Amino acid sequence: MPTGAAAIEVRGLAHRYHGAEGALQALDRIDLSVADGEFVSLVGPSGCGKTTLLRAIGGLLQAEAGQVRVLGVDPEEAQRRRLFGLVSQEPGLLPWRSVEANVRLPLEVTGAGADVSALLARVGIGEFARYAPRQLSGGMRQRVALARALVHGPRVLLMDEPFGALDELSREAMRLELLRLWESERITVLFVTHSIREAVLLSDRVVVMAPRPGRILDDLRVPLPRPRTDALEETPEFVALVTRIRAALREAS
Amino acid sequence: MTAARLRRVSGVVLPPALFVLALLVVWDLYVRWRDVKEYLLPPPVEVFRALVHDPGRFADAAVESLTAALGGLLIASAVAFGLAVVMAHSRTLERALYPPALLVKVTPIVAIYPLLAIWFGFGIGPKVAIAALITFFPMLVNAVVGLRSIDPQAHDFMRVLHASRWQVFWRLRLPSSLPYVFAALRISVPLSLVGAVVAEFLSGSSGMGQLILIANGDFDTPGLFGAALVLAAMGVSLTAAVSYVEGRVLTWHDSSGG
Repeated sequence: MPTGAAAIEVRGLAHRYHGAEGALQALDRIDLSVADGEFVSLVGPSGCGKTTLLRAIGGLLQAEAGQVRVLGVDPEEAQRRRLFGLVSQEPGLLPWRSVEANVRLPLEVTGAGADVSALLARVGIGEFARYAPRQLSGGMRQRVALARALVHGPRVLLMDEPFGALDELSREAMRLELLRLWESERITVLFVTHSIREAVLLSDRVVVMAPRPGRILDDLRVPLPRPRTDALEETPEFVALVTRIRAALREAS
Repeated sequence: MTAARLRRVSGVVLPPALFVLALLVVWDLYVRWRDVKEYLLPPPVEVFRALVHDPGRFADAAVESLTAALGGLLIASAVAFGLAVVMAHSRTLERALYPPALLVKVTPIVAIYPLLAIWFGFGIGPKVAIAALITFFPMLVNAVVGLRSIDPQAHDFMRVLHASRWQVFWRLRLPSSLPYVFAALRISVPLSLVGAVVAEFLSGSSGMGQLILIANGDFDTPGLFGAALVLAAMGVSLTAAVSYVEGRVLTWHDSSGG
């Protein structure tokens, strides 16, 4: 796969949820292309379909219409080829397993091999390998979830509001941690978030979405230099991008 | 044992022990004071005497009943869990199997004892069958709920890895169901004893049920009290055993340990 080829290719994706009050158009003819190694955020208010889009790309949801390609294959084949890693809002760890055994789970499922203790050390939980998840703070648990999502060497990391349940300080620490990790790994990341600042700080591109029907409002390149740090948040370029996204969202609502 | 641990244990054990002791004293004084006939209410010491006079009689009967109860419990739990696995994986099969299972629950099991006796004879067979039928439903319902109670985020994670149903079952569903399985066992262990003793009442052939029938016929009220005590002790020990195993197995679960 040459660099620059599309890691994720979405064409005309549409999906409705059927509830008691009729159908809700969660996604309306979405087109999206994410290059290999690109970090793309989906940002928007609740109900804009950003999670639905992520789930359709990961093969967790069968959209009613449209097409998804992940590194040239459909999502189910991408699952079969173990191309995905997933981090959700709740860590979803297995409480009966230690941290290390949780991170080992993908290796058991896929049959892949990896240096688990090195990975634990890299995400900053090396000394907690034998702990049970319940003994860890929310931020630490999410680090375990991140290590678990990366251990089998995925090509596309799907992150669904991964820091949404954390307190502000843990959030900031996790953002920087993720930046550091991603800047050394450079795998494709699709990152769903409510936070405009978070999206701008982390991403190469920010895709702005709006609800009813779920659609893409804007697709902005973030021309800020890497490696990035939180000092960036004070620069005029950063503030200008955040302001522009916020304006787009306000206009749509 | 540390002093703190000792204090904690004595805090748990002491109040009920004192209460029971007080109860025995009041019971004893009342019987003496009102000169109550022994066949109506024997003094505690007579109950104790009945138990130690012929402990073999109680022990043999207890083993008989326990075997039937645990046999039924084991068979029912295994079958119910197996069915639950099927039902947890298929809504269609769940819809098909639930009504008949419910029928087993709502049918007064005593009513089909004659049938069971015809099919299984007069030995341990019908006792095991009754204990099994009475403990079947709690395990089935709990196991279905437990097997479905998986963390959706953990399930999503395994799905994007293309984990097989088998892998999801062993690594996620089965461990997730264990707290529910133990909850079912805590319900069904005493029920299994009820089933066995009821069957013995009906057949009169052996076990604690028969012992009670005989004691009743002999106006042996101390024997009746003794039998009740033995059955209570059996129920308590079995429940404690379940709790002990649960505490060992479910160290990760909130409800375990305490």
